[in-house]
Amino acid sequence: MIIANKLYLKYPDGTLGLKDVNLVIPSGEVVYITGPSGSGKTSFLKLLMGMESPSDGYLTVLGKDMNNINNRELRRLRRSIGPIFQDFKLLDGRTVYENVIIGMRFLDFSKSEIQNLALATIKRVGLDHKINSIVDNLSYGERQRVAIARAVARRPLLIIADEPTGNLDKDNSLNILDLLKSFKDNNTTVIITTHATHLIEDEQDCIKINVLNGKMSTEEVSYESNC
Amino acid sequence: MKVIVRNTGYFFREIKTIVKLDLLSNIFSIISLSFIFFLLSLIFSGGNIVEHMITAIEDEAQISVYYSDDIDVTIIGSQIKEISGIRDILYIDETEAKAEMTEIMGEESRIFELFDHNPFDPYIKVKIELDQVDTIVEEVSSISGVELVRDNKEILDKLKDISSLISLLGLLIVIAVSVATLIITSHIIRQGIYLNKEQINTLRLLGAPEYFIRLPFILEGLLMTILSGLMSNIMLFVVLKYIYSQTMSFLPFITLPKFNGIMTLIILITLGLSFALGLIGSLFGLKSTNK
Repeated sequence: MIIANKLYLKYPDGTLGLKDVNLVIPSGEVVYITGPSGSGKTSFLKLLMGMESPSDGYLTVLGKDMNNINNRELRRLRRSIGPIFQDFKLLDGRTVYENVIIGMRFLDFSKSEIQNLALATIKRVGLDHKINSIVDNLSYGERQRVAIARAVARRPLLIIADEPTGNLDKDNSLNILDLLKSFKDNNTTVIITTHATHLIEDEQDCIKINVLNGKMSTEEVSYESNC
Repeated sequence: MKVIVRNTGYFFREIKTIVKLDLLSNIFSIISLSFIFFLLSLIFSGGNIVEHMITAIEDEAQISVYYSDDIDVTIIGSQIKEISGIRDILYIDETEAKAEMTEIMGEESRIFELFDHNPFDPYIKVKIELDQVDTIVEEVSSISGVELVRDNKEILDKLKDISSLISLLGLLIVIAVSVATLIITSHIIRQGIYLNKEQINTLRLLGAPEYFIRLPFILEGLLMTILSGLMSNIMLFVVLKYIYSQTMSFLPFITLPKFNGIMTLIILITLGLSFALGLIGSLFGLKSTNK
């Protein structure tokens, strides 16, 4: 569960990233955060990941108070999150398999569990035929699928995908969204940010949060649930 | 610990990747460190050899007593035996004296053929306790009929001076080597971290524990210094082998410690030191990048 109450994020240079955010996201939901570029979607994800600390207000992620979290707790929290970054952050020079298991190596999985989970996830994202390919040689879409596989293979409680449809056409975007949604279960929440609101117009059984008045200025940023 | 054991293969593959990212710098660092450790090994072996020579001379501490022709040598001998600190005496006649010198000088002893007669005088070889050399020489010199007492105290004193100098030099070199190794190792680790900062950042975002992120870099530092230590040992083996063979050929009267013994000692010292310095240097490098 994620709870934000009167949450503010102000960057060191004075830019206001988020203003008065109030929301509750229960476990096991698919959540879309929509809004144009620069509206604060990524800032919100950074707070969830502990990459930034709240400037004011209150935020808990999976039961952790993000205002008072120490490094040790933050590392533990991050092990429960499966992040899919805009730039994927894959390890260059390594194979698809190596990239997928890197996030599981330090978790409480046995060697065979790691292998089984990784192989199953790679198959599920449709890259089983490229399991030993070096990620540098893959297409944009394939690299994205590797990033998704890395995030979900370790069975996180929270999957965060930052603009996964950013550089894709409509069909591929919908495929990726379907894939991400498929990882939702009773315990796992999936949060997806996108500026392409038209892609989720017909979505049911989800939470949609709009970042309103999403200009570069974040003066009027607020979140509301549409579902 | 379970995670470290399970990921041993991964850590070593990571070292390979880190080294490959900046291969030339790593190679140059290993070469530099090898020469630094070689210098250190030379000093250690030099010190060891001198120490061995001092012990050998001390064990063989003796004085040579020359006497006038018109006196009975056995009377002098019996008086010498009564002095405290005398271990043994041996009467050496002219022929034995020449034979001893011929053995010491080797091929150079052919010069004796130019003499019409044996140029050596008989003498009494007196084995003594080294720490009493001064009083013994004084008492023997005062015996009637004794013309000259020759001791090797000066040589011993000089060797002890050299040994002290080597010890001091060794200490300075150990300090210099330690500092240089720490700087080189920590620098190469910093460089490795800089080149891998994206990967390190990704691992942190995935919640990797710090030891998991740092271990490949610490192992890289260790591998680098231990490899340098091994290379310096190979260089020392070649150089020391040459020095031993030359010494045996041209200065056979100099007693050297056993080659295998000295090599084993230096290998243990160098590897121990390279391990410790590699570990400390890597930790320094990691600590300085935490800021």
